[in-house]
Amino acid sequence: MSTFVLPDLGEGLQEAELVAWHVAEGDHVVADQPLVSVETEKAVVEVPSPQSGRIARLCAQPGERVKVGAALVEFDEGPSADTGTVVGELAAAVTAPPARAAEAAPAGAAAVRATPAVRALAQRLGVDLKIVAASGPGGAVTSADVERAARALTDAGPAEPLAGVRRAMAVNMTRSHAEIVPATVSDEADIEAWAPGSDTTIRLVRAVVAGCTAVPELNAWYDGRNMERRLIKQIDLGLAVDTGDGLFVPVLRNVGGRDAADLRRGIEAMKRDVRARSVPLAELRGQTITLSNFGMFGGRFAALVIVPPQVAILGAGRATPRAVVADGKLVAHRLLPLSLTFDHRAVTGGEAARFLKAAIEELERPE
Amino acid sequence: MSEVNLVQAVNLALARAMAEDTNVLILGEDVAAEGGVFRATDGLLKRFGADRVLDTPLAENAIAGLSVGLAAQGFRPVAEIQFTGFIYPAIDQLVNHASRLRTRTRGRLTCPMVMRSPAGGGIHAIEHHSESPEAMFAHIPGLRVVIPSSPARAYGLLLAAIRDPDPVVFLEPTRLYRAAREEVDDDGVALPLDHCFVLREGSDITFVTWGAMTKETLAAADTLAGEGISVEVIDVATLTPLDSDSILESVAKTGRCVIVHEAPLTGGFGAEIVARIAERGLISLLAPIERVTGWDTVMPLPRLEQHYLPGEARILAAARRIMAYQ
Amino acid sequence: MPSAEKIAELPDLAELMHEPAAATVARFEIRYSRFLDPKGNALRPLPDFAADRAELVALYRAMVLARALDAKAVALQRTGRLGTFPSALGQEAVAVGIAAAMRKDDVFLPSFREHGAQLWRGVSPVELFLFWGGDERGSDFAVAREDFPICVPVGTHAPHAVGVALALKLRREQRIAVCAFGDGATSKGDVAEALNIAGVWRLPLVFVINNNRWAISVPVTEQTAAETLAQKAIAAGIDGEQVDGNDVIAVCEAVARAAGKARRGGGPHLIEALTYRLSDHTTADDARRYRSDSEVSPHWSEDPITRLRNHLVGRGLWAKADEERLLAEISADVDKAAETYLATPPQRPETIFDFTYETLPKDLAEQRRAALDSVQE
Repeated sequence: MSTFVLPDLGEGLQEAELVAWHVAEGDHVVADQPLVSVETEKAVVEVPSPQSGRIARLCAQPGERVKVGAALVEFDEGPSADTGTVVGELAAAVTAPPARAAEAAPAGAAAVRATPAVRALAQRLGVDLKIVAASGPGGAVTSADVERAARALTDAGPAEPLAGVRRAMAVNMTRSHAEIVPATVSDEADIEAWAPGSDTTIRLVRAVVAGCTAVPELNAWYDGRNMERRLIKQIDLGLAVDTGDGLFVPVLRNVGGRDAADLRRGIEAMKRDVRARSVPLAELRGQTITLSNFGMFGGRFAALVIVPPQVAILGAGRATPRAVVADGKLVAHRLLPLSLTFDHRAVTGGEAARFLKAAIEELERPE
Repeated sequence: MSEVNLVQAVNLALARAMAEDTNVLILGEDVAAEGGVFRATDGLLKRFGADRVLDTPLAENAIAGLSVGLAAQGFRPVAEIQFTGFIYPAIDQLVNHASRLRTRTRGRLTCPMVMRSPAGGGIHAIEHHSESPEAMFAHIPGLRVVIPSSPARAYGLLLAAIRDPDPVVFLEPTRLYRAAREEVDDDGVALPLDHCFVLREGSDITFVTWGAMTKETLAAADTLAGEGISVEVIDVATLTPLDSDSILESVAKTGRCVIVHEAPLTGGFGAEIVARIAERGLISLLAPIERVTGWDTVMPLPRLEQHYLPGEARILAAARRIMAYQ
Repeated sequence: MPSAEKIAELPDLAELMHEPAAATVARFEIRYSRFLDPKGNALRPLPDFAADRAELVALYRAMVLARALDAKAVALQRTGRLGTFPSALGQEAVAVGIAAAMRKDDVFLPSFREHGAQLWRGVSPVELFLFWGGDERGSDFAVAREDFPICVPVGTHAPHAVGVALALKLRREQRIAVCAFGDGATSKGDVAEALNIAGVWRLPLVFVINNNRWAISVPVTEQTAAETLAQKAIAAGIDGEQVDGNDVIAVCEAVARAAGKARRGGGPHLIEALTYRLSDHTTADDARRYRSDSEVSPHWSEDPITRLRNHLVGRGLWAKADEERLLAEISADVDKAAETYLATPPQRPETIFDFTYETLPKDLAEQRRAALDSVQE
């Protein structure tokens, strides 16, 4: 910081009145540049700068009288900031935050390819694009496709959401399909020798017991996630019962330890409860293996659905007289078709085949 | 009424404009005694004199700049740039001055000038004589870009451009200069600026185009009509300010759009039209929008020219692709 | 040996030796002139107008005003109340000399360092503050309605001047156009093209080069190999001359002479006014990066304002009281103008759109609506 004082203006003058500044605080001035006009007795005189530098402070105001030797101007020695431009103002950068890797967007389900007009049309007609068969280029759904689907839907009747037992069936079957690896082995039992009036259901229950006794591996629960299998001693048999409202599979407990009369009583009680819709929830759970006597309605062989954690289901079709060869001669015998669907993650084909053989042996006894 | 071609229609419009307003001047290289290398200003020197039809020295930038000065003084200069290949030095004056004079002086000074120039290829010309720079001009705020596609529209739009109080770049399709003749009534009636022209009505596809490409586009529409496909053809005519409404109305009706222009694809004016449709007409679209344009290359020399210019075949292919979306 | 008759038939060798195979076909000269030396002494008889005290005082006043406004603008910029400003410190005589030599109804096309000329011609200090403060209304001059606003892309207004001069000539008016630009501009094609056309069309156009020796950081010695900038006129077939740009009398005389010639149909003229840029290029520039203070200091002794003041005082035409009164008046005027400028609210946002075309096109009107909506949010 250096101070410039009012110099001797000559003519014996001791002071002068400041008329006007020609520079402002903050200005950079060069030597000889006029700083200020001061009035002496005779004239208005310009006082030049003694040096180059930046004006830090003007020490007097216009109209003030300044004595010779009094401070006029203070100079600043420091450098001024570089604007880094010749026009305008450039905002200085702040330290940029470190770049964060963008989070990968979760992959969406495969989207339907349809133009906006087609989407709008589908919405207007109440058509779910996901069910529309696409015939356009690149698998795009076209408006004709949507219109076709709309027509089919109107013919088809209104969409009704599933509820209750039907819904439960859809849920269970979906789950089964997602987990189980089903395989089916089928055969027929020759029941020609059965006494008239035989109770097919009880005979089938006994057949399941025989199978489980021969191959306990099919009376088991399998946990696919942890890959653990649990062999179960007691046979709690799920009995598929079809009602007007849907499929129920109540449990007949400990079928291996009950006699035929007891089993019959149990089955009757179960049917009553199902008809009355009074099966306690506990009785719909805990099946270790299931029996489906679908032959009551028709059909011979079937690949059935296993509900996890079970690993097997035995299906019995309609018993009908069939042509067989016995003792070298062609005769008609009543044959009962059997389908054993097993979860091939936990049960081998051999186990399944042996189970079925044991079941058939049991069924083929006269009583 | 007389049957004239496009360049003759330009000549008629210039003469009419000069007759009705003594402030209209013509300037450019070789516009006076020569009457313009394409004869656009033929006969005008004789009729209106050397104070109205001025040959300038060879300086496109100065031609544009002095037009600004003349316009600010109340004249209506119509400057000719001999070929759009030479228009680029004038862009400085158009961007920095002509298009801004009104706004930067709050309307105190204005710039009612027209810069007209032959544009486009297909004339077997040497290098730099086949330019399609309309997208560059369309990006300048305050400027109008007008491209006629027929003698009648050249007449009507040029009159409108000259009478317009703001600067206009008027690009004349060289390929059409002598291509077709039609009846043009020299009645001094202008056509509206800032409006598209529906050259053909249709319901299955909208073709959007301008300039010389209207020829091939209309031909393709005819071919498709023979196949039972109904095509609407729109001539944009004024690129900026764009008449979005006409284009959107058509696309709402047809749901399919093909844009055809000679200029290169990337950053071409077709992209702006696609953007507007995507912003305001997306819901109408039944199929993707197609652009049939010049390639992103320099226009080749004449021996390969026909492989560059989008022909009827490429337009038809585009149309058929989008008609598959039924 | 040829016969005497044959020898007599041979062409005169002496004649042959004088047949020009090469000759000088053109020369040029550039004249420099001034009237006052840096101390204000008259070096030769002054032009007639300099005999009139009122004329000289008007010139002096105009230069003092120009400098005061300049200083105020710089001060406002320093306190964040004006945008980037190009000071014309030291160049006041060029601007004032040009304007004083023009008629009111002539047309002026400035570069961006002729504030003194704009002020003389009726552009108000408030308008200047408004423009440099970032408001387009500053270019909507209330007076000088045909003058062009300042021109940022250097030299690009020279062709405009050609167009204006052509308009005046076509209308057979007695008006002229005057175009001012700096030393840097003379390197531009626009200027060369404008000179050329003005010359071949013999337009009523006076070009003035405000040669302050610096184009930002490039000294004029690095701008061109030409010894003078005035001689660039010669290439266009125009007369060119140099004057001391810090002698307002010399500038005024030269421009008036050129203007008179142009008005009489004598064609265009180029005047190179030699001055010095005592300030930085703009308030955002720091000239110490490329030139030293010791280079600048000596040029203060050429100060045009001091020079004329000394001349006036020397002739007994200017007293202390006159100086005080003038400084006080100017100071008050400039302060008042600054206050008015600072109190002027900005334009409404929609004015961004309203002057783009004479009539707002539909799509642009929608943008205007969207812009206003976002302002309200």
